[in-house]
Amino acid sequence: MNPLTWAGAGFRRWWQARLRPTDFHQLTQRNVYILPTGPGLMLAATLLVLLLASINFQLNLGYALTFLLAGCSVVGMHMGHATLRGLHLQLVPPPAQFLDVAATLTVRIHNPSPRPRYGLGIALPSGTDWSWAEVPALGSAELKLNWVAPHRGMVTLPLLKAETRFPMGAFRVWTLWQPASTMWVYPRLEPSAPEWPAVQVGESGGAAVVARLAADAELDGLRGYRRGDAPKHIVWKKAAQAMETGSGALISRESRGTPTAEVWLDLANTGLADKEGRLSRLCTWVCRAESRGLRYGLRLPGRNIAAASGAEHQRQCLEALALC
Amino acid sequence: MLTRGAYSWLQKLPRETRETLFVLLVVAWVLMPQATQLPHWCTALASILLLWRGYLALYGRALPGRWWLAAVLVLTLASTWLVYGTLFGREAGVALVVLLLALKTLEMRTQRDAFVVFFLGFFAILTQFFQSQSLATAAYMLLGLLGLLTALVHAHMPGSKSRLRRAAITASRMAAFGMPLMLVVFMLFPRVAPLWSVAEEAPRARSGLAATMSVGSMADLALDDSIALRLRFEGPEPAGKALYFRGPVLSQFDGRQWTPMERRDRSPRPDNLQVQGKPLRYEVTLEPTANPWLLVLDATPEAPTQTDLQAEPTTDLQWLDKANPRDLRRYHAQSYLQFEYGPREWTPELRVFTLLPGGTNPRTLQWAAQLQADTAAPKGDASALSAIVLARLGSGDYRYTLSPGVYGADTADEFWFDRKAGFCEHIASAYVVVMRALGVPARLVTGYLGAQRNALDGYWTVRQSDAHAWAEIWQAGIGWIRVDPTAAVSPWRIGDATRLTTPLGPAGQLIGPAGYKMWAKARMAWEAVNNRWNQSVLNYGQSAQMDILKKLGFAAPGWEVLGYLLAGVMSTIALISATWAGLPRRRRDPWHTLLARARQRLTALGIRLPPCTTPRQMAQQAKTRWGDDAEGLQQWLLALEQCRYGKSHEATKVEHLRSTWRTLPWAKYEADARRRPTP
Repeated sequence: MNPLTWAGAGFRRWWQARLRPTDFHQLTQRNVYILPTGPGLMLAATLLVLLLASINFQLNLGYALTFLLAGCSVVGMHMGHATLRGLHLQLVPPPAQFLDVAATLTVRIHNPSPRPRYGLGIALPSGTDWSWAEVPALGSAELKLNWVAPHRGMVTLPLLKAETRFPMGAFRVWTLWQPASTMWVYPRLEPSAPEWPAVQVGESGGAAVVARLAADAELDGLRGYRRGDAPKHIVWKKAAQAMETGSGALISRESRGTPTAEVWLDLANTGLADKEGRLSRLCTWVCRAESRGLRYGLRLPGRNIAAASGAEHQRQCLEALALC
Repeated sequence: MLTRGAYSWLQKLPRETRETLFVLLVVAWVLMPQATQLPHWCTALASILLLWRGYLALYGRALPGRWWLAAVLVLTLASTWLVYGTLFGREAGVALVVLLLALKTLEMRTQRDAFVVFFLGFFAILTQFFQSQSLATAAYMLLGLLGLLTALVHAHMPGSKSRLRRAAITASRMAAFGMPLMLVVFMLFPRVAPLWSVAEEAPRARSGLAATMSVGSMADLALDDSIALRLRFEGPEPAGKALYFRGPVLSQFDGRQWTPMERRDRSPRPDNLQVQGKPLRYEVTLEPTANPWLLVLDATPEAPTQTDLQAEPTTDLQWLDKANPRDLRRYHAQSYLQFEYGPREWTPELRVFTLLPGGTNPRTLQWAAQLQADTAAPKGDASALSAIVLARLGSGDYRYTLSPGVYGADTADEFWFDRKAGFCEHIASAYVVVMRALGVPARLVTGYLGAQRNALDGYWTVRQSDAHAWAEIWQAGIGWIRVDPTAAVSPWRIGDATRLTTPLGPAGQLIGPAGYKMWAKARMAWEAVNNRWNQSVLNYGQSAQMDILKKLGFAAPGWEVLGYLLAGVMSTIALISATWAGLPRRRRDPWHTLLARARQRLTALGIRLPPCTTPRQMAQQAKTRWGDDAEGLQQWLLALEQCRYGKSHEATKVEHLRSTWRTLPWAKYEADARRRPTP
């Protein structure tokens, strides 16, 4: 490895380790950095040539032009620094996401000063995918960043970089920010996962109910809509009538056996060899079972989750899978 | 209607199109003044390129491919090479900068390309200063610079909306804050000589006094109102009469053209110059000219002084600048209006001043012979003979006019006997011819006569139209005597230093004499401003810097001192601005300030409030305490709530709330608070 690159990487690691993770990042003189950009150096070269021309042709107005431009660059440097300084960055804790699906990180930028800030960009330090915003005076703006987590489990959020080149592009003003929030990343979803095996052995060892639900499941009855009911269980004809009468209440179909069906999803019973594949499949099954309103339990090595249903239960199962 | 339509049309254009059109506009503005200076092909090519780019932007067409651009680039370089023979000279460089800038607008693909356009634009501004550094140019180019900066700032305001106005405001702020920095560096940056010699092209011909004078040539000058020089008297000012600024002395005549004598020797001092009276001290600012003459008043015994000015005298009282002609020259001089000079006794060298070309002006020669015979004056008495000739000029037969018609070969004959009309050069030339015919050494002097004082700034202005020709005759025992034969014909031309005013032109007749007067006044004001600009900006150089250092109390001013001073001032400014930026400033939200104020006041009045209280809760508390009396306060608090969370209108603006705060019935509440026992 090139020793320079190595030293640079080492410096970067050391620097990033110094950053205290926080979800609320207030930009001050201490954490806003500034360096000239390539075009900035080009501007410096231009100024030098202008100065030489002024000296050689003894042009007093040439001096004035050169120094005015130089003065503007210096003022621009301060303006650029002031564009970031004083801002408050707040990370909105991101919801859990499946592996390989881009998560949206939302950064809320608040500007407590009476002057608007232009040309603000946020990106991952390595990324070229910038999202730009301007923050009005005494107002805030939201910036969204897409980020794909590198692995499953409880993942620390990536280092973020806020940058501006406003106003002249001669200086790069930036800050590095390590959010404190973590994000749950569940195993990858398997879009074409097969149905689970027809019979799963219950925890007690007894035979469980066959929980295969056909799309044309026999209609058992109707009940009022509950949150989480799949759209295909809603009786749309009734819904239209309800709309007309003005009540707006939705009616769901209730399939026989649904409340009592209990599925046990077992890591050992996925029919796959590699661990990630098995986790993926279980993860897909958990989601599928939840969307069908089944009661399901999860059997993992060293940990069993009793059968239940609901968003909270699903979260518990998925987190257990993510950590597995 | 039309502008509104155009405006809404502009608003509808996509951001990139608007941005590109704006950059093109700015580039065109910056290049416009060059159009007249550059060769036609160059102007045409640049215009075509810019128009092409504008068309592409407006209709959303693709930019031309690299090969196209390469072809145009090769064409540009080749034609520049063909026309100028080089790519690096000043004129060739200017043409190249202009063409490359126009060409680069066709290649604004990446941000780096845009930067190149901006930087070439800065160069284009500089190249214009080769041509002119006047106040008007500076103002024009400042606008161009602001335009370039606006485009640059706009390019760094990413976002869907185009915000040219915002960018313009930011650019102006940058320039406004950059201006003091510019002034400091401008004043303190050491002015040094050119680092390497640049091939100086011959200065472009400027109108002004010429080294020779053919009869009839000065008529153009009389119509040229531009300024030849300015002077400011240090001490007493002259009465305004007889300010003769000496230019070249012309002694050889070929019948049509007067030329200076070939220099025989260079004497260290003017011949036998003896001065009397008190000197006039003054400072001259000479407008750029191709000639080395340092115009001073007659007679100036000591060399005009100025750092880096080396003046040398000629035998006929002129001062020359040894160095090459430069732009603006400024120097100090002192002159004595009363003086005598030239050989006191006859010397053979004076014979050349009596020579006349053979076979010309026969009638004048004949008249001279007759005069000689008639007069009782002794042959050598130049003054007496001159008086006779001047008497004839003043007899009333002769007219002063700027348009005497075209003179033939025998100019003196025509003047004396046929036309009897002319202006200074006809008159002076005819006078010198007849004096020479009478055997008196005589010669022609050209220069400027008179000056106009600008009451606004006390500077005296000498214009090209003040150009004048007069004569000198040699009188035994005295030396050279100045004779102004024009005065004999037309005393007002000389008296009162009134400038020769051409009759009001068609425009002048249109505005009438009163308007003309106002116009003259306005022109005086403009010239005063312009002069200030010349004196303080264009003429600012090493000597002015050293003067400032001396005033600041530096005993040994030098460029090192300037350097230290510059570094010191710059680091101080940097330190102050860094500290300013680093200071934690508690700039509170004005709304929070108001809320805190209300809370403080209510607490002071004895209302206990929990740590976080909304305006609405405060209003309720006030209501329970004071009942209907709390109406005003309640409304104010609810308006405060609206200000933050509701729709904004006039009554809920922070400023409005701040001003109505004081009008609430605080006295009533305080009286109530005093009545209650303190808890």
